[in-house]
Amino acid sequence: MKIAPHMLLVCTVAALTITVGYPASTAHAETLTAEQVLKVLKTVDNRQRNNGDYTAQVIIDQREKDKNDLVYDATVYRRDKRDRLMILFERPKTERGKGYLRIDHNLWFYDPRVGKWERRTERERIGGTGSNRQDFDESRLAEEFVGTHTGDAKLGRYTAHKLTLKAKPGVDVAYPTVKMWVDVETYNTLKVQDIAASGKLMRTSYYPKWRKLYSKSKMADVWFPKEIRIFDEVEKSNRTIIVIRKPNLDSLPPNIFTKAWLESKSR
Amino acid sequence: MSPGTHKQRMGSNVARLCLIAGRNLVQSRKRTLMLGTAILLVTMLLVLVNSLTTGIRNTMLRTVTTLSTGHVNVGGFYKITSGQAAPVVTNYEEVMKPVRASLPNDISVVDRVRGWGKVVNPSGEGRPMQLGLTGIDILQETGIIDVVEVIDGDLMDLTRTEVGHTAVLFEKQAKRLKVSVGDTITLSVVTPNRSNNAIDAQVVAICKDVGLMSAWNVFTRKDTIRTLYLLDPGATGAIQIYLEDADDAPATAEALRATLADSGYRIMEPEAKPFWMKFQTVTREDWTGQKLDVTTWEDELATIIWTLQALQGVKTIVFSVLLIIIIVGLMNSLWMAIRERTREIGTLRAIGMGRRSVLALFLLEAGMLSTVAAALGTLTGIGVAALLNAMEIHVGQGFQLFLMRDTLHLVIGASDIAIALTLIPACAILGALYPAYRAAKMKPVTALQHVS
Repeated sequence: MKIAPHMLLVCTVAALTITVGYPASTAHAETLTAEQVLKVLKTVDNRQRNNGDYTAQVIIDQREKDKNDLVYDATVYRRDKRDRLMILFERPKTERGKGYLRIDHNLWFYDPRVGKWERRTERERIGGTGSNRQDFDESRLAEEFVGTHTGDAKLGRYTAHKLTLKAKPGVDVAYPTVKMWVDVETYNTLKVQDIAASGKLMRTSYYPKWRKLYSKSKMADVWFPKEIRIFDEVEKSNRTIIVIRKPNLDSLPPNIFTKAWLESKSR
Repeated sequence: MSPGTHKQRMGSNVARLCLIAGRNLVQSRKRTLMLGTAILLVTMLLVLVNSLTTGIRNTMLRTVTTLSTGHVNVGGFYKITSGQAAPVVTNYEEVMKPVRASLPNDISVVDRVRGWGKVVNPSGEGRPMQLGLTGIDILQETGIIDVVEVIDGDLMDLTRTEVGHTAVLFEKQAKRLKVSVGDTITLSVVTPNRSNNAIDAQVVAICKDVGLMSAWNVFTRKDTIRTLYLLDPGATGAIQIYLEDADDAPATAEALRATLADSGYRIMEPEAKPFWMKFQTVTREDWTGQKLDVTTWEDELATIIWTLQALQGVKTIVFSVLLIIIIVGLMNSLWMAIRERTREIGTLRAIGMGRRSVLALFLLEAGMLSTVAAALGTLTGIGVAALLNAMEIHVGQGFQLFLMRDTLHLVIGASDIAIALTLIPACAILGALYPAYRAAKMKPVTALQHVS
């Protein structure tokens, strides 16, 4: 029996919603202290952090009401030790050669059609989609936020710590308040709600699948989400799916995180 | 001869010439009627097109000074770093002091908080819109109530803080967003530090569209915009000044620039652009802190005022062509009259009529015909304009860009009537000058020998 692609999508979203979308019941748990929350955040960060380099193919699928669907193919390069990040767009043809480069605390965007670099903020919507830099970068929750535990909750079959994170003063983050659900057993992030300064919920992200890869440089496993489903809470019909494929922890050439290297990819 | 007798003779000569000219016009009834009708139609057209441009200007002034600008504005930019500019005036109450002091007491001075963002129906219905957000104090700006026609709800409900944030939409916006009074809309913006922020606001009134301008504007409260943009209560978008006469705006703006500079404020160079078109220039400049920008309503409308200028240009070209046709027609008609009446001219010259009187006779003919036709044309134009206004003719969306409203609206100004009543006869007399001169130059003997 053949299933139509849209039906497949509906079924997937429904399954996802049942699994992690709604808290089935609030699990009983003692409230974590500030130190314990910090420890949770550090664990979440450390599990995803790699001491060496990281490369992955990503597909960013953007669906917006009354607009054509956007599907980008890109490669993400990271050197977490030096806070370097680069996103190089490869497909569609019109986007090929465009890229983002994070050097220190500055995010730069390059467009080969105009041959210019523009400085963008941390809140930049990557490629005009619902995703932002933090969705591709290493997790820095403990550095950027101060968290409080608001109880534990059941998300489908998972029990999760419910944390409310407030951005530290002077830290450039996409949203000043984040609510997150962290699996109490694996410390994988299950769900994240981004909240604007006004208190309005702006977007909800689900992390349905996680994978691990052994890192030689870290001498331990590195965890990364296989898929991130981002739902726009302002324009309810808009959503972005990021699929992360072929993660690779091999070392990258030393000169890769430079403007010249990214420019050379479009020549 | 005493001067009194000379004047009397002059007067009786003019009266006699008028009588002859009048009789000639009546005698060549067919030609008079044709030429008169042509002049009447051109005058009527001139009156109507002038009334259209006056109507557009009046509507534009009324609409934009209600929706987006004062006659004179004191706005500006605040730069946290040289590359980050926000269109705000900080400590605006301090800026208001020298502004108020330099203006007469009865001049209305208000402040508005401005923004630009996405308006969304949170239910997922309708289509999101990018709109200008204007934070006002409706109790201060009662002029809005006179201009804006409420279809549903109450404008005064904007002040209802107990329902949270509130907003007033225009008809087309409400239709596109699929919301009605009592529904919630989400206002989403990018703040000066480039973060996204959004709030929900309840629709408290829906107003009738005020031309195309209203399609881009949403009214809300000042505190709503401040919450959205994370501004403190001392910050505003612009101080708007409403003068008795909008034509005084450039002079007032110039005087305000000097006053504010004397009070120690840094003033931006005057530039005829709306504030949102100045972002690129401002962010490129190497300065931080506050700079004030004094603009007039015409500066803020630079992007759409070209419609009026284009219309004026088209009008000038069309009327130049029509006037040339009228002048050529009149000259041709007078040439024919002179040819037909050559023997008559000879007789008049033979019995003692001077060259000047012959010249005056033909000029009087042209003058009388064009004055009467222009007067009738003006009256017809006024009548047609009144009729068109009464009919409230709806125009297409494309034409609304020119008209600044959804119905045809003509305004006849005293200057338009004066132009019609003087320009047309003046052109007609100018056209008659050469044929009349040729008639006056004719020798009586040659004229009498002419065989028609």
